[in-house]
Amino acid sequence: MIKDKMKNMNEEEKRRYRLERLYKILPVISIFLLILLWSTVAAKSDFPSPKETCDRLMLLFENPIKGKNIFGHTAESLIRISIALLFNWTFGIAFGILIGWNKKAKALFTPLFNGFRAVPPLAWIPLITIWFGTGEFSKIMIVIFGSLASVVVNTQAGMLNVDQLYIDVGTSFNANERQKLFQIAIPSALDAIFAGIRTSTSAAWMVVLAAEMLGSESGVGFLIVRGMDAMDMPLVLAAMIVIGLVGALLAIITQYLERLMCPWTRVESN
Amino acid sequence: MDKSRVKLKVDNISQSYVVGDEVLDAILNVSFDVYDNEFLVILGPGNCGKTVLLNVIGGLEKPTGGKLYLDGEEIVGSDKRISMVFQELALMPWKTVMENVEFGLQIEGVDKKTRREIAQKYIDLVQLTGFEKSYPSQLSGGMKQRVGIARAYTSNPEILLMDEPFGQLDAQTRYSMQEEIQKIWQQEKRTILFVTNNIEEAIYLGDRIILMSKSPGKIKEIYDIDLPRPRNSMDPEFLAIRKEVSENTDLAL
Repeated sequence: MIKDKMKNMNEEEKRRYRLERLYKILPVISIFLLILLWSTVAAKSDFPSPKETCDRLMLLFENPIKGKNIFGHTAESLIRISIALLFNWTFGIAFGILIGWNKKAKALFTPLFNGFRAVPPLAWIPLITIWFGTGEFSKIMIVIFGSLASVVVNTQAGMLNVDQLYIDVGTSFNANERQKLFQIAIPSALDAIFAGIRTSTSAAWMVVLAAEMLGSESGVGFLIVRGMDAMDMPLVLAAMIVIGLVGALLAIITQYLERLMCPWTRVESN
Repeated sequence: MDKSRVKLKVDNISQSYVVGDEVLDAILNVSFDVYDNEFLVILGPGNCGKTVLLNVIGGLEKPTGGKLYLDGEEIVGSDKRISMVFQELALMPWKTVMENVEFGLQIEGVDKKTRREIAQKYIDLVQLTGFEKSYPSQLSGGMKQRVGIARAYTSNPEILLMDEPFGQLDAQTRYSMQEEIQKIWQQEKRTILFVTNNIEEAIYLGDRIILMSKSPGKIKEIYDIDLPRPRNSMDPEFLAIRKEVSENTDLAL
């Protein structure tokens, strides 16, 4: 089949075709190599093998922890970051637009915000735990604190970088301030805003694990801690792999969302 | 051109900026009349304040001195009856050709159906039919400039300001756009103020040419160009005017 396809190509096309095939195969090879390395190491030590890890994951379906299999725990974590992100995207973007567009608001809030931003999300955990306990609200709060800054910073940067030329076009057509904001500035900052959405999503996914590791009854972060407490290394590994896969999936989804919302950026990259 | 009817009166306009601790005059006491439906070219070397003058007329900058009268009434700031064709980059990359062209009408609050119809008319006029859904990044330089022209026309202005619109185009595209803008102007007569630093372009397009001196920008000379259109840049009369203007032009730094 492949031979047939290549018969009608000239040398240059053949070369390009082979290269493209190579680019598709290389990622598969790297994953394969990792599994190979992992199996070899596992065979020579008491590190769990890929098969044991996989079996442990399957066992979770028969024998759920706290009444939930791996999907249940992933869903719990995803619900937490969804609530936090929904809050952050609403208020973070609004706040970013405010301090990016309005000079007075910028002067008023920038010092406070920079201070807030400099405190790492993990540093909030003790305060929030003492104040609100270890319930659901605290965890969502920690995720909010951990992923708010990237939304605000990116949105503000986008709003500060609106090209004066576009604003001038608005002026020349007698656009009022509201029209300049909604028809020119915000759309032109949209790709920066989406960069914020992307980074905040991956930040939220990281922070939710930390929050769940510190006292929780569900979620993938909880699974890891449970595995550690029970010296159940296959469970720890299984949870880590799921975390990696979900994180990658979230990145792909937000990227797709960006392309959907900003079709012109797709055109440019072509 | 109807010399009996003054469309726009530029009266003693000055503009200066504070740079460091000194005041720099960009343009100084510039006065002239623009007649109805005239194609007026403002010609000058780089840095002579041509763009500043256009920005003042377009209401993007507030002059430090002088007044503007449109149809005999003083205007301040940006006026609905004056529209601007910006340099290439002023198309909004997140809008399609159609959305860029209808932008002025959208700002005015015209309903979607009506503004699409009007915008389509001008998209057709600048020969971009079929590219309505394209994004600016998919267009060539000349095509982008056509979108800019269509956008300025769509808000139905009485005066069009064009700031070196073809400056970033290659020579070939530039010639064809000069022909194009002349055709469009003859089909849809408006008063046009066209800024350029290219002498040939000025003589090819202008009913009159205002020659400016270099900074601070002042009016040096006003030429009436009575050659029939379309003009031929190899015509002896054309060349004679070109020589005259050329010898009178200050060299840019």
